[in-house]
Amino acid sequence: MSAPLTHFFKHLSYTLLRRRSRLLLHPPYSPLTLFLTASYKAKDPSPSSNTANAKLSSSSASCIPTKAEESFTYPSYLSVHIRCRKDVADMLSEALLCFGASSTTMDEEDTFKNSDEIFIDSIFPEGEDVNLCILHAANSIGLKEIPHYEVKMGEQYDWIKKTQESFHPVEVIEGIWVVPQWRSPPDVQATNIILNPGLAFGTGEHPTTKMCLLLLHRLIKGGELVFDYGTGSGVLAIAALKFGAALSVGIDVDPQAITSARQNAALNDIRPEKMQLHLVPGKTRPSSMDERICGIVEEQESNGMGVISETGKYDVVIANILLNPLLDLADDIVSYAKPGAVIGLSGILSDQLSYIIEQYSPFLEGISVSEIDGWACVSGRKKRNLADS
Amino acid sequence: MAATIRLTVPAGAARPAPPVGPALGQYRLNLMAFCKDFNARTQKYKPDTPMAVTITAFKDNTFEFIVKSPSVTWYLKKAAGIESGSSRPSHVVASSITLKHVYEIAKIKQSDPYCQYMSLESISKSIIGTANSMGIKVVKDLD
Repeated sequence: MSAPLTHFFKHLSYTLLRRRSRLLLHPPYSPLTLFLTASYKAKDPSPSSNTANAKLSSSSASCIPTKAEESFTYPSYLSVHIRCRKDVADMLSEALLCFGASSTTMDEEDTFKNSDEIFIDSIFPEGEDVNLCILHAANSIGLKEIPHYEVKMGEQYDWIKKTQESFHPVEVIEGIWVVPQWRSPPDVQATNIILNPGLAFGTGEHPTTKMCLLLLHRLIKGGELVFDYGTGSGVLAIAALKFGAALSVGIDVDPQAITSARQNAALNDIRPEKMQLHLVPGKTRPSSMDERICGIVEEQESNGMGVISETGKYDVVIANILLNPLLDLADDIVSYAKPGAVIGLSGILSDQLSYIIEQYSPFLEGISVSEIDGWACVSGRKKRNLADS
Repeated sequence: MAATIRLTVPAGAARPAPPVGPALGQYRLNLMAFCKDFNARTQKYKPDTPMAVTITAFKDNTFEFIVKSPSVTWYLKKAAGIESGSSRPSHVVASSITLKHVYEIAKIKQSDPYCQYMSLESISKSIIGTANSMGIKVVKDLD
């Protein structure tokens, strides 16, 4: 960038800052989107900064977007390719994250031989002012020049596909496989749980999923009612049915999880009445005393329809989630189990065990723990004569 | 041969969506495993605290990662929105933040495992010290 332009640029950003009395930068509308084709819909621009930025962009060669005409219906991030000196790359990466970048990636392979330069690939949220961020970042580490960079619309599709390519069939226990939808089961005679996990958790590869599957396999003899608290991809609910349970009920706070679980149930030829799935609100309040006594808890789905689940009804309750919800929702999780039923809890690290055991000791007896690779699974039977808390 | 990926991810809230999705998907890393691992390890932080993650991706699609709460410098830069720290810290003031900013940053740092025994006051003093060394002025109120 030529000297006078740099000066103008600095002045502009100073002006922009002054206009904002709030000190946390709200990104002004990105100048790039003015040059993109109609496939990209503009969001609310702030009129004053728009024109100024537009003028700048037209004279700055490093801002011209490539691949702008690729039309994706829902572009939601910007992919920026930056070239800079190797010796400042680490600092620049960290600085970019301070000023608006969501991620930076440096690949050792990306360097030119005998060159002192390296590429940084950076992701920005849609609507972020990439220009301004790179300027701030470069200035904050004392660079005299703005590094050369290119901006493209981020591709939504590729990375989903790429991660899905990495799933392979997994034999969790002898004779029991979790198989991605697009691969054929290595052993057609085995119990095969077919999954298209989508964006929900639960592919069978994780130690916690494995421990829960082992637990279910040990417990289910036939005819049980199973409750999957935090169902994700539905893998545990489906497995329970395959092992012989009469009914699986799965709940989750993530709509994507419920969608994935429904699809996966269909992939395994499971009828909706055998595997019932409910989307529940994020902040689940424990049911009131009166509701508990009646044995019925009514939960609202996000679309307003009432959903009825029965407490104290299930033979097995399994919750493979995270430490904090396991602690906060202990009352709720335990409420679904019949007295004497087994409750399985996972998604916790071994060093988080003591918190879980402390929280669940009032509810469970015969507590046992299994661990794989630093992950833990706790199980126990619901005490028969629990006083309602 | 490896790649270094740096991300800011809210504690306990990693999902296979941007930025995690594209950044890790590029190297075919197991997104779900990362999210589960990251979320489990960040349970002790206040939910949605932006965590600084550095991932090293290896050629065989395996990876390692380190999680830290962002440095005080990171917070100060964000709060002040500055272009650069001052080159003469005690003389030229580059930008300003308020005591409220300092307090908010101190609260976040207090949930860092290594800071839990420190008082909010002593953490705040340390933050003000860092701000001064960056040439950032701490004022009571702005505008």
